[in-house]
Amino acid sequence: MKIKNNFFEKSSVYNHKNNKNFSKTHEKYVKKLKIDKIFVLFSQIFILILFLGLWELLTQLNVLDSFFVSSPSRIIKQLQIMIKSETLWTHTFVTFYETVIGFCLATGIGWIVAVILWWNEKVRKILEPYIIILNALPKIALGPIIILWVGSGTNAIIMMCILICVVITTMSLLSSFLSVDEGKILLLKSMNANKFQIFFKLILPNSIPDLMSVLKINVGMSWVGTIMGEYLSSKAGLGYLIVYGGQIFKIDLVMTSTFILCLLAGSMYFIISLFEKRYKK
Amino acid sequence: MKNMLEFNNVTYLYQTKDSEIFALDKINFEIKEKDFVSIVGPSGCGKTTILSLSAGLLQPSSGNIYLDNAPLDIKNKKVGYMFQRDYLFEWRSIWKNITLGIEIQKPNEKEKKFEFAENLLKKYDLYSFRNKKPNQLSGGMRQRVALIRTLVMEPKLLLLDEPFSALDFQTRLKVCDDVYDIIKKEEKTAILVTHDISEAISMSDSIIVLTSRPAKVKDIVEIEIKEKTPLKKREDNSFSGYFEKIWRELTNENKE
Ligand SMILES: Nc1ncnc2c1ncn2[C@@H]1O[C@H](COP(=O)(O)OP(=O)(O)O)[C@@H](O)[C@H]1O
Ligand SMILES: [Mg+2]
Repeated sequence: MKIKNNFFEKSSVYNHKNNKNFSKTHEKYVKKLKIDKIFVLFSQIFILILFLGLWELLTQLNVLDSFFVSSPSRIIKQLQIMIKSETLWTHTFVTFYETVIGFCLATGIGWIVAVILWWNEKVRKILEPYIIILNALPKIALGPIIILWVGSGTNAIIMMCILICVVITTMSLLSSFLSVDEGKILLLKSMNANKFQIFFKLILPNSIPDLMSVLKINVGMSWVGTIMGEYLSSKAGLGYLIVYGGQIFKIDLVMTSTFILCLLAGSMYFIISLFEKRYKK
Repeated sequence: MKNMLEFNNVTYLYQTKDSEIFALDKINFEIKEKDFVSIVGPSGCGKTTILSLSAGLLQPSSGNIYLDNAPLDIKNKKVGYMFQRDYLFEWRSIWKNITLGIEIQKPNEKEKKFEFAENLLKKYDLYSFRNKKPNQLSGGMRQRVALIRTLVMEPKLLLLDEPFSALDFQTRLKVCDDVYDIIKKEEKTAILVTHDISEAISMSDSIIVLTSRPAKVKDIVEIEIKEKTPLKKREDNSFSGYFEKIWRELTNENKE
């Protein structure tokens, strides 16, 4: 059968890893890909080392004033102090906790609102201008109101985090829901499917890749929200340390906190990416 | 033989914000059980509209439609609709795709339906692909999967809306043959919409020729070729005669 043969041809190309009988050109090509990859990785590490090395060197030579720019060795020292006094864990944990709660709530609420808006076209049309305005509004402006309403501290910070993430979550998910091919909906309707079934069999699974990218964006945004919240009002957390360190001119503390923040945000993004890859398989 | 589908003075108007589109004008035809009927007509004349009405996705503005001698009702689940594109769900395996209808309609004899689905896959050479995802299949195979997905629900009437138009010419002839074979073996009544006159002649027992919008039935041509498969029918002596007749009817209409 002709069609079948075509398919097997395709699938043999597809499974090239199991098949070692390829031409020299292909071998060369694969080798080149590998070399390129290694080159990129080394360059990345090199830049990091160069940056840290120069930073340390210039401060040691007093070209840069370590009082203003800190230095890698001072950051390490600061880290050691904080580990000994156990402040590292408490502050990191506070910020991490606020971010994770904010991230989950924002994603959850944003998703639910998107579902409601998809479900009911009237509600969607009525709320559209409000959502657009809410999206355009710089959320930091709501800081004082949030503090008045939910009190200062953890609640306000989580609230800020939610506000920053939730509108964009709703908007991206809704547009994903609405982008489903009309024909596929018609197909389900011709099978006499109800709206529930259309949502759970088609709209929802179809939106998973978009959900993944929303999660990735939210990881970044929820850190922004939490740190912003901590700037506004807090008694603990990395954002608190940064503001506090800035006020008492302890740049080491500021730099160390920022460094931890980088590590945390990076690993959270990494975890989501792993999650995404796993889903794709 | 008894009637499977009957259109009785069916008129349809699409309502839009700033106009009303007069799509169908008093359409009348009857389709007998196990017949294969094609609908040809200028593009945009209302062919898809006729299928949507037959599937119960639209309600006629006036006139009546009878399916199996009873007023058409989508809840009876007697109609299977195969669209121009296969609309396979990429995240589902082939097996999950063809059993989608079972999941949705939750019939009483589920086990029987699953068994039937499995047999269809085996019979039409797709069983070994049941755990593959649609993007691992060729266009022709995807179209066959879409047909099987429609057949699994054992519809009495099959609606095919230009199902081959996305395929290249060679695959198209082959898939045409396959699909024809499947439909005949499963003893289904079928309506095929196509803009390809040869395809219509090679597959059908009769052809409904429509005028441009608003569509009226211009002619119903009975095809009497003894050959068994579409490919062989194309080589029959009378083929070109039919072709010319229908082609005239489609092109002459502006002069009327
Ligand atoms: N949902 C709709 N709303 C308004 N007009 C429509 C709609 N669907 C189809 N039409 C119009 O009705 C006419 C017939 O459409 P259709 O049945 O799809 O034609 P075709 O014969 O090409 O399948 C076309 O002119 C088309 O523009
Ligand atoms: Mg059409």
